[in-house]
Amino acid sequence: MKKIDKAVADQYFRKKNRYKVIYFIIWFIVSYGCVLLAEPLSSITIMGGFPFHYFMGAQGAVVSFIILLFINAKVGDMIDKKYGIDEEQNIKLSAGKSVDH
Amino acid sequence: MVSFSIIIATFALYIGIAIYNKARATSDFYVASRGVPPVFNGMAIGADWMSAASFIGMAGTIMLLGYDGLAYIMGWTGGYLLLTFLLAPQLRKYGRYTVPEFIGDRFDSHTARVIAAICTIIISFTYSIGQLSGSGVVIGRLFEIDAKLGTMIGVVLIAFYAAFGGMKGITWTQVAQYLVLIIAYLIPVIFMSLQLTNSALPWLSYGELVGKMGELDRELGISEYYAPFTNGTKWQFLALMFTLMCGTAGLPHVIVRFYTVSTMKAARWSGAWALLFIGLLYLSAPAYAAFSRFILMTKIAGSAITDLPAWTKSWIDTGKLQLADSNGDGVLQWSELIISNDIVVMATPEIANLGVFVIGLVAAGAMAAALSTAGGLMIAISSSFAHDIFYRVWKPNATEKTRLSVARWSIVIATLFAGLIALNPPGAITQIVAWAFALATGTFFPALVLGVWWQRSNAQGVIAGLLVGLAVTLGYIFAAKYGGFTILGIIDTGAGVFGAAAAFLTNVIVSLATPAPSQKIQEEVLDLRYPEQMVYKDGEVWMNEDGSTKA
Repeated sequence: MKKIDKAVADQYFRKKNRYKVIYFIIWFIVSYGCVLLAEPLSSITIMGGFPFHYFMGAQGAVVSFIILLFINAKVGDMIDKKYGIDEEQNIKLSAGKSVDH
Repeated sequence: MVSFSIIIATFALYIGIAIYNKARATSDFYVASRGVPPVFNGMAIGADWMSAASFIGMAGTIMLLGYDGLAYIMGWTGGYLLLTFLLAPQLRKYGRYTVPEFIGDRFDSHTARVIAAICTIIISFTYSIGQLSGSGVVIGRLFEIDAKLGTMIGVVLIAFYAAFGGMKGITWTQVAQYLVLIIAYLIPVIFMSLQLTNSALPWLSYGELVGKMGELDRELGISEYYAPFTNGTKWQFLALMFTLMCGTAGLPHVIVRFYTVSTMKAARWSGAWALLFIGLLYLSAPAYAAFSRFILMTKIAGSAITDLPAWTKSWIDTGKLQLADSNGDGVLQWSELIISNDIVVMATPEIANLGVFVIGLVAAGAMAAALSTAGGLMIAISSSFAHDIFYRVWKPNATEKTRLSVARWSIVIATLFAGLIALNPPGAITQIVAWAFALATGTFFPALVLGVWWQRSNAQGVIAGLLVGLAVTLGYIFAAKYGGFTILGIIDTGAGVFGAAAAFLTNVIVSLATPAPSQKIQEEVLDLRYPEQMVYKDGEVWMNEDGSTKA
């Protein structure tokens, strides 16, 4: 075990949170935002017949959610790497956890 | 006969996998030794997640409600962001077997543990009634026997592999079930797309039909298929979507899935894969709905009442389809056709004339959806009782053998009891499922979010929050359903909004009014901010580089 600067650890935490805030803003706009604005959006038509509000509810929101989750997983890995987190160690550390009772 | 063989073949596959993986130790029984790779765990979450309501009910609901039905699509997918960003990795790092165990240890309170275990049992039990009655409808329709007899067959199957396979059997069984159900769902959608739009990609081609149906609706003088908020207020849409999202993040049988992965990183990836696999079905459901409605509008409506296809007869006999020539002109009009949303997915292969193989496949997929979810629910119930109540509180000295047998017996008893209620279900399948989500939103979602992210939340706060959330949610469901009481047009299915708001407030106020949790607990909560290798202790952060678990 090696002591690290708490400021560094907090920076890690804040960085992850900042990304999550961005993801949640997009999450809110594509779902709640498009429902709130459903009436005005319905006059726009895309993809050969889809009214835009219907497209967002049926496809746009779901596809955005999937993309956000994969971005989060990838970005999370990159942040871990930057802070020297070694997944092999994580696996070892969590292996025995919770079987201790 | 073809349908029968397909179902038997898929059942043989599931049971074979369950026997092959027969669990031997309790650690395997609950969480499959934490060794399931994220992609397969994603598929297993998908099978766990997509129930009879998703597979059988959702496309029909969208067909009948139009845009308003899309609250289910966005709600049941958007919740994965809450789950993966706010809860799954942190709960994985905390490392316990079950949700009540997390709550009991995090708040250091047996009272909180028992209340959480009881909430888990109530939520999972409510949910499983819907699954069992769904499987009864499918088996009954297929073998042309009474739905009650079909439910009993379903009960025996679930009790068998949930009790003898445990989670490990179920994880790999559920991977198989996911593959069966997604293939069964996509084949009819793709075939209909080829028939109607000459495209093998229904997701890109059905928009055209949605637009065309709007024109047909205008000609008939009814509200357009895609017109928003025709079946409820905008607030009901938002409340339902919120309830389904937060319920997703608070459902114990889904959260427990994230205890089967190896690390926080694996939890992140499992969430992403899970939503990809789930999204495949959820993106197809509105296409399924559009194709079914288009065929019914253009090919069935408008035909002579004496000249209807053969499939109409068997569904009219079930009471779920009504075709009455009420104006007596000898022609079936669109307004004279009344179809129940529960049969749309099952009946569409027949309506579109896709052949007996596809019909059998859809029935097998529906069974996979109902059984896989019921299996996961039964594990959640049995672990709450056998692990959290029996072992952690009641008999801490029980041997592993006793605990395993208590776990198995609680599955058998819970399945039989749920089956008994499913013989005369208290509501429609989708309605029962929505209540389970509202209860999870009002109880576990606030308790877990505050438990993970706010170190000041204490035992008194969580106990009060769970009880108030449960009472407000149940109260609103009953008041809205039986008393006609609504706020902003929000009905029983959106009750979670009020439960969650009340539970968050109560938890925060009571926590602040009572002493802070111990230093040790607060440190454990702060520790959840960092990956496994970083350890928070006495206000300092330590990096573990040699894999030793001691400081």
